[in-house]
Amino acid sequence: MQGVKDKNGVMRYVISLIVNGDYLTVTVKGNTLLVDLLRQQLNLTGTKRGCKLGNCGSCTVLLDGKAVSSCLVLAVEADGREITTIEGVAQSEKLDKLQESFIDNAAIQCGYCTSGMILSAKALLTKNPHPTETEVRTAIAGNLCRCTGYVNIVKAILAAAEA
Amino acid sequence: MHLPDFNYYQPETLQEACEILGRYGAKAKVLAGGTDLLPKMKQDVLAPEALVSLKMVSGMSDIEKVPGRGVVIGAKTSPNDLVNSSVLHENFMSVSEAAHSMANNQVRNMGTIAGNIVNAIPSADLPPILIALSATVTLVGPVGSRTLVLEDFITGVSRTAIAPDEIMEEVVIPEQSTTGSAYFKFGLRHSGALAVVGVAAAVTMQGSLVRDVRIVLGAVAPTPMRAKKAEEILRGKNVTDDLIAEAGKSAAVECKPISDIRASEEYRRDMVRVFTKRALRKAIYLEQSES
Amino acid sequence: MEKYSVIGKSVPKIDSRAKVTGQAKYTGDLKFPNMLIGKILTSPHAHARILNIDTSEAEKLPGVKAVITHKDVPSLKYGISPARWDENIFCIDKVRFVGDKVAAVAALDEETVYKALKLIKVEYEVLPAVFDPIEALAEGAPQIHDEYRRNINTEIHQNFGNVEEAFAKAHLVRTDKFIGQRTYQCPIEPHSAISMWEGGKLTVYCSTQSPHYFQHYIAREFGLPMGDVRVIKTYVGGGFGGKLEPTGLEFAGAVLARITGRPVKMFYDRHDMFAHNRGRHRQIMEITTGVDKDGKILGMHANFIMDGGAYTSLGIASAYYAGAMLTLTYDFENYKFDMIRAYTNLPACGAQRGHGAPQPRYAFECHLDNVATQLGIDPLELRLRNARQPNTVTPNEFKVNSCEMTACLEKAREISDWEKKKGQLPKGKGIGVAVGSFVSGAGYPIYRTDLPHSAAIIKVHPDGSAATLYVGATDIGQGSDTVLCQMAAEAMGYTYENMKIISADTETTPHDFGAYASRQTLMSGAAVKQAGEDVKNQLLEMAGVMMDKNPGNLDCREGVIFSKLEPEKTLPFTAVAREYFVKNGPLVGRGSYTPPKLGGTFKGAPVGTSPAYSFAAQISEVQVDEETGEINVNHVWDVHDCGMVINPALLHAQVHGALYMGMGESIWEEVQFDAKGKILNPNMSDYRMPTALDMPVITSALVESCEPAGPWGVKEVGEGATIPTMGCYANAIYDAMGVRVNSLPLSYEKVWRALKEKREKEKGGGKKKK
Repeated sequence: MQGVKDKNGVMRYVISLIVNGDYLTVTVKGNTLLVDLLRQQLNLTGTKRGCKLGNCGSCTVLLDGKAVSSCLVLAVEADGREITTIEGVAQSEKLDKLQESFIDNAAIQCGYCTSGMILSAKALLTKNPHPTETEVRTAIAGNLCRCTGYVNIVKAILAAAEA
Repeated sequence: MHLPDFNYYQPETLQEACEILGRYGAKAKVLAGGTDLLPKMKQDVLAPEALVSLKMVSGMSDIEKVPGRGVVIGAKTSPNDLVNSSVLHENFMSVSEAAHSMANNQVRNMGTIAGNIVNAIPSADLPPILIALSATVTLVGPVGSRTLVLEDFITGVSRTAIAPDEIMEEVVIPEQSTTGSAYFKFGLRHSGALAVVGVAAAVTMQGSLVRDVRIVLGAVAPTPMRAKKAEEILRGKNVTDDLIAEAGKSAAVECKPISDIRASEEYRRDMVRVFTKRALRKAIYLEQSES
Repeated sequence: MEKYSVIGKSVPKIDSRAKVTGQAKYTGDLKFPNMLIGKILTSPHAHARILNIDTSEAEKLPGVKAVITHKDVPSLKYGISPARWDENIFCIDKVRFVGDKVAAVAALDEETVYKALKLIKVEYEVLPAVFDPIEALAEGAPQIHDEYRRNINTEIHQNFGNVEEAFAKAHLVRTDKFIGQRTYQCPIEPHSAISMWEGGKLTVYCSTQSPHYFQHYIAREFGLPMGDVRVIKTYVGGGFGGKLEPTGLEFAGAVLARITGRPVKMFYDRHDMFAHNRGRHRQIMEITTGVDKDGKILGMHANFIMDGGAYTSLGIASAYYAGAMLTLTYDFENYKFDMIRAYTNLPACGAQRGHGAPQPRYAFECHLDNVATQLGIDPLELRLRNARQPNTVTPNEFKVNSCEMTACLEKAREISDWEKKKGQLPKGKGIGVAVGSFVSGAGYPIYRTDLPHSAAIIKVHPDGSAATLYVGATDIGQGSDTVLCQMAAEAMGYTYENMKIISADTETTPHDFGAYASRQTLMSGAAVKQAGEDVKNQLLEMAGVMMDKNPGNLDCREGVIFSKLEPEKTLPFTAVAREYFVKNGPLVGRGSYTPPKLGGTFKGAPVGTSPAYSFAAQISEVQVDEETGEINVNHVWDVHDCGMVINPALLHAQVHGALYMGMGESIWEEVQFDAKGKILNPNMSDYRMPTALDMPVITSALVESCEPAGPWGVKEVGEGATIPTMGCYANAIYDAMGVRVNSLPLSYEKVWRALKEKREKEKGGGKKKK
């Protein structure tokens, strides 16, 4: 990873990472967070900011396949790693079965938690294709939803696992 | 709420990392998981001049059983690594369970065992059970490494025995005769809650005789603390419900909780009583069902 | 053939694909060329005089484009409640709570904004502050607003029938006192607003529940004609009452945008949201009820005090609602309501889901259980004996048409197995019941106007392949865009799949007051129905010409026009629509809705009036850990009378969500302050909203109901299920453990303490109860 001082003496780092399958090289500051790199520099605004402290799960992305809060990851730390955001879940026009299931089970209301919720569920189902209800609830317990009481979200994830 | 500026370093060896830390004295912080450090920086609680990332330092992320040493856990191991470790499942399930009780899944994926220890937050979930299991920590510094008993390592709220230029390399749970240990976390919701109290117990039994016992209380003193009088009540005795209850009462007296927004001192003390009993019962049950 | 072809079906939400793919743009996701980022500086003191504000250092910081204080903005006071305009865009003379707005910065990027905020130097003279409403009302307490002596924000004294006489006749008169806590809506999306000017015209993209009220108050503040203010709602990440009124972001952003000549995006962080607040009031509630020996309520007196915080917000309505809604579920004639809403040096409270109703309902439902226990009557039976019946009028003159309170209670009793469980569950387990009712839209708007409450336009595309519904109704996640499209399609005889919608943009969509008071399905729905029927009538007229039939004998369903007399004679909607366009130009339908004149003439009579009321009964089963006080809710049954259902899946989802909020408020959630009025838990870690691991099994069931005042018979559902929950859990905890916690939240520690006190008392008295 290369660092260059800009004319104000601030270090800028050139990092390379794979985002939703695309190899990208970008320049970030040391204190740039992954969530802000995604949203502000790469315009991937499907990743949301909700609390900035790792409590709400709105900014959940997959980092090398694991669900992480992108508000707690420095962009420089993502150098050389693979990231999946909500924009990378569908295969072009074809929605992922989790996305389909969220729609079919009325698991979406305001939608602000939905991206993170789907990515947490995606990480779970990839590792554990047939989870129990408790495993589903544990996997999404770090994704707060203020609209649904999680009822239909849990139903949607279990249904996607069945499918 | 924004991350302040800092110098960022990505050394490739521990030696190099220690050197950078040495240059900054107390003004640098080690960045591993970041789940505790970054929120503190965003909220202006900490403003280190430099962050020294361990990302490119290889190793320190395995959990292995090493004959003669015990279970050796790399400092960069995440809580979810602890949750999923078959070595821990076979040897110290209670450590996996304690890790599972932490924060939320995202944080459990990113955080590290070393962070949970070094940040020395009184409510941290891993130190009580690790202390109950007599764990040690190995610190690497510019002139070599040293090993400390974890019980002595945490010295106060956000204070430990680590020197500014040292880095934790591993945590070792020594081989021991006990198979009965348990950690109970009492939080105010089922996920994403800090412990109001955490109680760990490890027992070595001979039939119904308590040969040895260690009880460690979390979130009720500046550091995780042994309930030594409670241990004395049990050690060398034949265990009974009354004795367990007495140990619980003793632990409730021994602890030094504060009142805060989560709970009053009085409530915390009584929860220490309740969960000391529950942790002891579970540890004894596991020990007895194992032998 | 089914009666309806589009409504009554669980069609997928119209925005669901955008939301599962991350395409949906919320205000914070939008970028405009040349856009700046802005943020508000707030007060660190609960009560302090502003002596001086020095912005010079901030202005010098590279990247900072503007710094503004009260000197740069209109000094006209505002507030969502016209009865008390008491807020300024920025504080002028003094700050009144920790978080009061003092200045704002616009800069090139977020990092610079945060740095600049730290460089603004404000000199304060700290004043004594008051945080408790009773202390605030006392003689000699710090005066928060000069205009409001003794910190009385509003005082209500209502008296219907003769309560004293009722109490004199009563077999039992009982008084209980309860306290409801401060909670916060805590939508997952933080508020944000982007303001930009083109000449004299201001456009604001924002996270709002009501573009109309935003437009109205922004125009008023800047002295602009309404037509020069365009407010556009983007996707909104939840509101629950917290996004109903302008937040300061719009005002400050508009000024910063005008000064810099650039678009400015303003935003709150989570802790700013907690400080801006407008959440649930803390309320001290004393309830006295007189009943006859069978438990029939003869009269009731509610005597409340509210902590309103530093400003009015929607609090006057909250204060009236607190008492007004207590008369709905049970039939009694004599009712007295006394209320004082006090100013304190804490964040302002406003309307949170169930506006004003949930806490008094908690108090009343607990109190009634106490009455039932004292009389030896099953609490559910007591409620059945008092349940309101259809076509009745409450003592405070609310006209209730449809009302299936009795059926809700009976069904809840049946599906929860109440009779086998009540008083018979093993120790530690308990079951409780409570009821609730809510308005289906407020009978009167927030400020006085004779504008219709809702309006709709439907434009059929030239080839008839789609129709776009234009409504001011505001989808904040609850799904109004979806159900209104269903309603439009039904009224037009069209298909849901071909509906498009443009909503909540003050320039392109017709007027609507927005998403609050559970109003849109009934009110916006009525306007949409009318617009749809208008389209259909014009279409049938055209089809009549094309088919050489009397239009009166034609109808249209699912996109097919047919003769009612000769059903095989059909024409496609598309062909007729196209022909209409060719002959007459755009095919447009219009509709509007104004509620009938409602309510009495006494002071405060309009608050709580509604064309229709929903009713609900909830039963919950809880498990309490006797040693720790930990509460696990195992199962909740909610039975609702919400009239005709347009979209069952979305309706039940509303019940789940409303219950979720009620559940959080019942057990976990409370905004806590230190001794200086600073919030201790302005985050999602210590402000404990339930996680997926905390939620019980929820059974949401319905009773048959049809409301004559609503289109197709609809009523509200969005807020109703929040209302019974707190009382329901409290009653279940009592059933489980024999202890009553008289303040919210029913925290583990409070339950533990109550159990401890009970044990100590029993030890002392030697009495034994379950």
